[in-house]
Amino acid sequence: MENLEHFLAQVWFVILALFLFLYVMLDGFDLGVGILSLTSSNDDRRDILMTSLGNVWDANETWLVLMGGALFGAFPLAYGTILNALYIPIFGMIFGLIFRAVAFEFREHSTNKVFWNVAFGVGSFMAALFQGFALGSILEGIKVDEAGHFIGTMWDWFDWRSLLVALTLIQGYVLIGSTYLILKTEGELQTSHYRTAKLAAWTTLLGAIFITIATPVVYENARAKLFHQPEVYLFAVIPVLGVLLIWLLIQSLNRKAETTPLVWTVLLFLLTFVGLGLVVFPYIIPPGITIYQAAAAPSALVFMIIFIGFLIPIMLFYNIYNYIVFRGKVAGTHYGE
Amino acid sequence: MDFLSDTVALSRMQFALTAIFHMLWPVLTTGMGIYLVIVEGMWLKTRNPDYYHHARFWAKLYVLNFGIGVASGLPMEFQFGTNWAPFSEAVGDFFGSILGFEASMAFMLEAGFLGIMLFGWERVNPVIHYFATIMVAFGANLSTFWILAANSWLQTPAGGEMVNGKFVVDDYFQAILNPFMLNSVSHMFLATLETSLFVIGGISAWYILNKRHEAFFARSLKIVLATAIAVTPLQIYVGHLSAEQVADYQPTKLAAMEAKWETSPAGQPAPWSVVALPNNQTEQNDWEISIPNGLGYILEFKQNLSKPVLGLKHWKPEDRPRMVGLIYYSFRIMSGIGFFLAGLMGLSVIQWLRGKLSPEAIAEQKWLLRIWILAAPLGYIAVESGWIVRCVGRQPWVVYGQIRTADGVSHLPASEVLTSLLIFTVIYTALFICALFFGSRIIRQGPNLELPVPGVDTEPVAETTPAEFVPDQRPVEAEQ
Repeated sequence: MENLEHFLAQVWFVILALFLFLYVMLDGFDLGVGILSLTSSNDDRRDILMTSLGNVWDANETWLVLMGGALFGAFPLAYGTILNALYIPIFGMIFGLIFRAVAFEFREHSTNKVFWNVAFGVGSFMAALFQGFALGSILEGIKVDEAGHFIGTMWDWFDWRSLLVALTLIQGYVLIGSTYLILKTEGELQTSHYRTAKLAAWTTLLGAIFITIATPVVYENARAKLFHQPEVYLFAVIPVLGVLLIWLLIQSLNRKAETTPLVWTVLLFLLTFVGLGLVVFPYIIPPGITIYQAAAAPSALVFMIIFIGFLIPIMLFYNIYNYIVFRGKVAGTHYGE
Repeated sequence: MDFLSDTVALSRMQFALTAIFHMLWPVLTTGMGIYLVIVEGMWLKTRNPDYYHHARFWAKLYVLNFGIGVASGLPMEFQFGTNWAPFSEAVGDFFGSILGFEASMAFMLEAGFLGIMLFGWERVNPVIHYFATIMVAFGANLSTFWILAANSWLQTPAGGEMVNGKFVVDDYFQAILNPFMLNSVSHMFLATLETSLFVIGGISAWYILNKRHEAFFARSLKIVLATAIAVTPLQIYVGHLSAEQVADYQPTKLAAMEAKWETSPAGQPAPWSVVALPNNQTEQNDWEISIPNGLGYILEFKQNLSKPVLGLKHWKPEDRPRMVGLIYYSFRIMSGIGFFLAGLMGLSVIQWLRGKLSPEAIAEQKWLLRIWILAAPLGYIAVESGWIVRCVGRQPWVVYGQIRTADGVSHLPASEVLTSLLIFTVIYTALFICALFFGSRIIRQGPNLELPVPGVDTEPVAETTPAEFVPDQRPVEAEQ
């Protein structure tokens, strides 16, 4: 029976990781494009940037809603404790997402677009920044009592380490946003995103190196785990693969390839994600509460697998179909010639 | 100003503010989704370009509302964790699962097909496009189902019991099919449809009154009327069923809805109050007008009550809702609007049958059209009032009879909640003004009847060059 309970909690950990990964990858390029829009020199460029997201942004954001709902149902304790601890970053992210979401609709009907341009760009930046703070402080650990309830203070999430994670995440989003735009645009706009992609690749690498080194140095819990035999080999492989992927990415940017930069970036995100997952597992509220302690009753987990599990392939199917319908370059008619 | 340092009051205010604001947008999009399915279906059937242009025009208002709905819906879900962590932990097994179902089955479906519905006219064939429109409407209404199932469970928790402060579910299907579920889902489904119909009808009436595209909008007004014939009376009936259930399952709420302080024993008639001034301090109505014997007729269609109706004084003050006046008047506003809209529908149908709504004659019906314009926002007011009755009336319980609201709140510094509440107030007020401004701009611009109809003159584009880029509709429409 214990085995079954453990197995169910692990299944939900993997499903949540999948939802979170899909969110970070999809809304990642979405938010990245939003941040990049701050550097656009004119409204025609912004038109193209926002048009490239028009049909996908709300579906992308829905993965966050889905992740939230599934976490609430599968690990109610973690849902309550983490969100309670991260009150300010969560609402910071929400306010950012509100600004950028309404900017899509209001900008289109507005005659004075400047305000909504700023709302879109700054909203995207805010959302990315606070997601980074949230991620950073979860990795760092959340102060809880024995029952797993939050006992820290309202600014616990804010320090130099979570700031480092936040800045790196922003760079990562800019990177995946740039490589998405390389795929979706042409001409001068595409050229400029080859430049932003290359810059973001280097800064992301820099941030990743810092975090990789800082993790075992600063976090005692992680240190024991990272240097434990034989996992140490696995953990050693991840940074090596990461550097390799960044090298392949920069090569493909130099070659002016259109599709492969996005592919390498997605793989880089996946690798980072697997790495973080392995460091955190089996904890869901690091450093003290495991997925087994925070999990809902087995009946709830089974019930949710029946209702949500079979929908995952269907959701993936129609989301992919959406991308297929709108494949190809965004309109170049307004711009460039 | 004690509440400024009271985390429970502030968290409640924040939830109420975000809920009241958020609800305005999905109420329209869920109902209008069905309307879009109707007009696109009529277009596919008749190939009359008017129906196509209806689909395109109303979809503009749809997407404006959808965007704000998504944006304002995010804090709803996350607040359960940020502000109501003990509640989330206690009921997450069931309540959280349902929110997960809503996101995966309903919201994802709506969001996933919305892009094709809005921008896919030239890119997919009409049947697939129609399928996308149906999925958007289906997804939105499935959201209503799950959200109302979850909320009904908070009103009438079923399918398990509280064990050590955590709700343990024995039977998930019994929990979903809790006593309130069916009526609540039906009542809300009809509410979204009714609100949308009267918004579409009111806007159509405005165009006709201003002599813009009279024949075009006479068409939408008639679709609205044909649907409302069934919806408005049915809504009154379902509303009555819901009230009966409240009487059975939530007597404290019923007593507050009727501002009833003293218990009326069985076997006797009881008055029904029409207007009153409830006073929480003195525990009586300072002033009221009531209909003698009315309560028996309302609850059981006979003079004498067969069961006693308990008054608020039957419970200790801490076990009953505090805001009696708010609940009392919200209930009266909601029901009053329900009857008014049914009456307006009946009157309009009579005029239709008399031939007064023909495209040539309809603009002469000035007074009727003006009432329709005035009726456009009433659905929203009724929905908001209904939810105030439903959720303020449930107090002091967050899960009726099981968990008190005060026990479900996160331990947060009041200043932190006050700050987020103030930011929400500012942002939501600004968004509301923007939405009205841009919504009225879309309406003033009117439909673009020049928009080429797919399959008529653009067929080759869709058929031969699917991989090439076909200009997106957005910039084109933005230029209008």
